[in-house]
Amino acid sequence: MEKAVTFDPSGLGLPVEIGLIDKELGKLWESSDDTKTRASLINFVIHTGDPGSLKADTEIISTIAAKHACRAILIFSNPSAPAPAAQAWINAHCHQTGKGERQLCSEQITFRLDGESANALPNIVFSHLDTDLPLCLWWQGDLPEPLDETLWSWVDRLIYDSAKWSRPVHQLHLVRHLTVGSGKGTVLCDLNWTRLQPWRYALASLFDHSAAFPKLNQIDSINVELGNGSRISAMLLLGWFASQLNWTAANSGESQSLFRGRQGEGRPLDEFLSPDNRKISFAITESQNQERNAVLIRCGDSEFELSHAANAEFFEARIHIPETIDSRQILPFPRRNTTDTLLAELSRAGRHPLYTKSLEKILPLLRR
Amino acid sequence: MPTEPFQSNPLRDGLNLRSIPDPCSLIIFGASGDLTHRKLVPALYNLAADGALPQAISVVGFARRDKTSEVFRKELGEAVRKFSRQAVNDELWENFSNSITYHRSEFDNPEGYVSLARHLEELDAARGTRGNRLFYLAVAPDQFEVILENLRKSGLNTAAPGSWARVIVEKPFGTDLPSARRLNDLVESAFDESQTYRIDHYLGKETAQNIMVMRFANAIFEAMWNSRYIDHVQITASEPLGVEGRAGYYDKSGALRDMVQNHLLQLLCLTAMEPPAGLDADSIRDEKVKVLRSLRPLAGDEVFRHVVRAQYGAGAVNGKRVAAYRDELNVNPESNTETFVALEVNVDNWRWAGVPFFIRVGKRLPKGGTEIAVQFKSVPPVLFRATGETVDDNVLVIRIQPDEGISLRMCAKMPGSSLRIEPVKMDFHYGTSFGKATPEAYERLLLDAMSGDATLFARRDEVEEAWKFIDLIHEAWRTRSNDLAIYSAGSWGPSEADELIKRHEATWRRL
Repeated sequence: MEKAVTFDPSGLGLPVEIGLIDKELGKLWESSDDTKTRASLINFVIHTGDPGSLKADTEIISTIAAKHACRAILIFSNPSAPAPAAQAWINAHCHQTGKGERQLCSEQITFRLDGESANALPNIVFSHLDTDLPLCLWWQGDLPEPLDETLWSWVDRLIYDSAKWSRPVHQLHLVRHLTVGSGKGTVLCDLNWTRLQPWRYALASLFDHSAAFPKLNQIDSINVELGNGSRISAMLLLGWFASQLNWTAANSGESQSLFRGRQGEGRPLDEFLSPDNRKISFAITESQNQERNAVLIRCGDSEFELSHAANAEFFEARIHIPETIDSRQILPFPRRNTTDTLLAELSRAGRHPLYTKSLEKILPLLRR
Repeated sequence: MPTEPFQSNPLRDGLNLRSIPDPCSLIIFGASGDLTHRKLVPALYNLAADGALPQAISVVGFARRDKTSEVFRKELGEAVRKFSRQAVNDELWENFSNSITYHRSEFDNPEGYVSLARHLEELDAARGTRGNRLFYLAVAPDQFEVILENLRKSGLNTAAPGSWARVIVEKPFGTDLPSARRLNDLVESAFDESQTYRIDHYLGKETAQNIMVMRFANAIFEAMWNSRYIDHVQITASEPLGVEGRAGYYDKSGALRDMVQNHLLQLLCLTAMEPPAGLDADSIRDEKVKVLRSLRPLAGDEVFRHVVRAQYGAGAVNGKRVAAYRDELNVNPESNTETFVALEVNVDNWRWAGVPFFIRVGKRLPKGGTEIAVQFKSVPPVLFRATGETVDDNVLVIRIQPDEGISLRMCAKMPGSSLRIEPVKMDFHYGTSFGKATPEAYERLLLDAMSGDATLFARRDEVEEAWKFIDLIHEAWRTRSNDLAIYSAGSWGPSEADELIKRHEATWRRL
């Protein structure tokens, strides 16, 4: 049955014929006053299957454009529509620069692709990219199958959010395929991983003390307590520990059940093996109320805990090493909404080697 | 198989694009001073707020005034609220300030250093700072000797195996070559060169760091970066301010020592140097030293042909009347100190033969700004001569401050049926191109010193070579005083400076 789609084009700007987009954009600038300058440093493309997100996505583009002048392309793709159709709108986002009256403007082109037209995405859409500028593609929702080789080979930075996937295990394997296939030049940017960045920084800082980092060789267990639906985030954190400490997956297969609908209960779920073959158990608890997220690391009698209460501006860090350290500290917790996370990602040049390594550590535990 | 014990925190590996500094104690001598309050502690707070500092860090203020750690933290808290580049979060400041303590002692009291050593050992145990020490001499150079001698006598200049001890020295690095050598010998008596970090905050600025990237990561520029294509280079540092409470220091120093010997010669080096063998500190500094050694010495009468010195008289800046330099508070009414200097400098090497570098620095100029302008040669006057159109030369401008960025001026045809050529500018602004705030120079430099990266710090031979060049100019100036020109405050300097560059058939850029 055809999915009901509510599409509201208000706020998307001027409707234009696809073949006349460049001409209409030219007219847009001719009619503007001298204080406006068109600027573009990247192509920023958002692909969504949710018509309800177009307004929010346009607002995100406007905020991004203030920091990263871009050619923005917003695509709403509805392949289940019965008739093929393609429509376009153009818009501009202008932001004042400095103290003067000058405004830097970024263009936004929005496409609606219905039915079979959705398959023509590379042809219709990518012919409107700004030449020679990097392409950052934010693919909202699950990645499509089969993967379109042409599409991925053009993408410089592929942005996605593994926390929002409906089938995360399957999708993570697809992502891994990208790193070895035609898209191997593509930088993978998982917003879920970017959101965890403050956690990684803060967890690392727990072990800066000269008495603390030797304990990393003695970890017995890691318990991760995160909000409902954050299992994949917890696994990424564990993958990060495993890659930094050179652990391998013991591969008892228990962790697979995590992604088959069962809620974690905090009991040991699976194990990693340290280089000296010690077993390190890990458990993931999904708290229903999301009042508190925490990571507890036990190394014999020593404990390292990092926690964050909902809406708090800080982490609480607790270190207990018998007869040596018993401390509690607060650490900065940058609160980020989706736009902030995207801005953090776009401001960060280069690849995410730790992400790729972490994926490699957890994928054996997450067989399809 | 038993695992090797970790020598450092492996969770830090790869976490940052740059390395996180080692846990350490930062000991600031001159903790009651302006630099500590306006720059150093705000920079440390910003680094902590950005998560760029390790948790295992301690800051020890060492000064003569009697106060408790609590009072010291309160004073610093007020300063941070005033001078921090980002809004201060009370809880975060509270947390960071727990790492700050105050150690009262006279600089010449050996007991004070013995008790400092004990205090640092306690901090190592309590905060896990691993015996790493970074000493920051935020004091006048006349205090260096006594501090360095006491650091040496107390053994604080040497670190335990596996730890490190470093010293950061603030400018001025001497007032001439002999004093710089004395100062360097003094530092060397306590810390060897690899432990010594001489701060030139200009090198901490993003655009200064970007000069190398722009030159060596872009084939189009490097191919033209020589005497075949470049006509001349202008390096300008102008400011509308006067001496602003620094009269005591400035009247003895003057613009040549205060700005040219360090900041502007460093910018010249980055502009003129050959590609380094690597990105390590010494490879880069080796190349900078070669530039300094290639500077054609200006001595005797040559100084008066190639250097213009001037002092501001009364005038108006930004619509406000301002006094002449000699009428400023604490300035000798008969002072011959230059507040403006313009130089024509030649780099006698293969690449730059025949390309003059014009350096201009001044106070009470109409506008503040620092930039490097690379003026390319004219196209052959053949094609467009018949049309009567003026073809402006290409100029590549690297703006160091404010509004850091790069622009390129080129010619374009104006739309229309006739051939009219107009200059257009391609402009790159750091602020609008990269979606993050540019950190303060001191933040970058403190991080580098804690991480053991000396790239952005001046090496002993750099400092001494620069003084060699500057001293010859001062020697010539000592033989005459009638060459000091006077310019009106709010103007772009004396007409003699315009004449200097006019001999090369060029004009100073309007910032």
